[in-house]
Amino acid sequence: MVNKNLIYIVDDVQMQRELLADHIKANMSVFEIHCFTTGEECIAASKVRPAEIVFLDYNLNSQIKDAMDGVEVLQELKIISPETEVVMISGQDKIEVAVNSIKHGAFDYIVKGEGAFVRAEKVVFNIYRFHKLTATANKYKSLMVLFGIGMILMIVLVIYLQKYGYIRSSPGWY
Amino acid sequence: MSESNKLTDLSYLRSLTGNANDKMAKYIRMFTSGASLSLQQIEMYSLNKDWDSVKQSAHALKPQLGYFGAKGTEELLREIERMSGDKVDLDRIPEALKNLKVQLDIIVAELELSLKEFE
Repeated sequence: MVNKNLIYIVDDVQMQRELLADHIKANMSVFEIHCFTTGEECIAASKVRPAEIVFLDYNLNSQIKDAMDGVEVLQELKIISPETEVVMISGQDKIEVAVNSIKHGAFDYIVKGEGAFVRAEKVVFNIYRFHKLTATANKYKSLMVLFGIGMILMIVLVIYLQKYGYIRSSPGWY
Repeated sequence: MSESNKLTDLSYLRSLTGNANDKMAKYIRMFTSGASLSLQQIEMYSLNKDWDSVKQSAHALKPQLGYFGAKGTEELLREIERMSGDKVDLDRIPEALKNLKVQLDIIVAELELSLKEFE
């Protein structure tokens, strides 16, 4: 079960992490935000307290050469907590990078740059809306199942009452 | 130096931080303290002909310059990233790194000057 309103940001560039965290905090104060330099740190934290949303840099080895890359971290996070929505962030605007991220289960893909922070805010809103719609759909699904069970019980009851003569198939007014 | 000759333009960072002086100062300090190290890393990787690492470091530095409005330097880094990533025109990389060093020195000087008005 993910921790509602918890966001993790993973980026090996400090300025990138802080800018995104500050922007989300300033515009969506409901979220608790934690930043990590490596994917390994985020994985360790997710095992204890999985986040609702993870913003994950695609290239995580500019400082530590043998650090896990974004896609490896994404795959691991999806195993630990399938309900966590992962948003990939990269400086590359190549379509293959975006396709590769989505293929491995990312919710969305953001290209670093001037519009990235506003887009990140919109993605958070989209995830919130998506989770709300999913919860509503699940509620209606449960209601439909309950209604079906109720109908079956009613039919069984009518058959039982009819069989033992408590009711007749003809109401008796003609 | 007149505004039009400057390599940096802080208007985007201003809008992003809601013109908060403390945040502007925080990001400028963050960049100026790390820029020379990033450049040294790129130069070292280039000397060792470790082109993949040159690409990675250039890639990491590139968006930060964009936030300070240094579009020309961002473009230069994009070019270094392309050459080292695709392993083409590798003989042009040392010259591009010399240009990068000159531009980064000017950018850091401009930002340090701007820092005074935010502190």
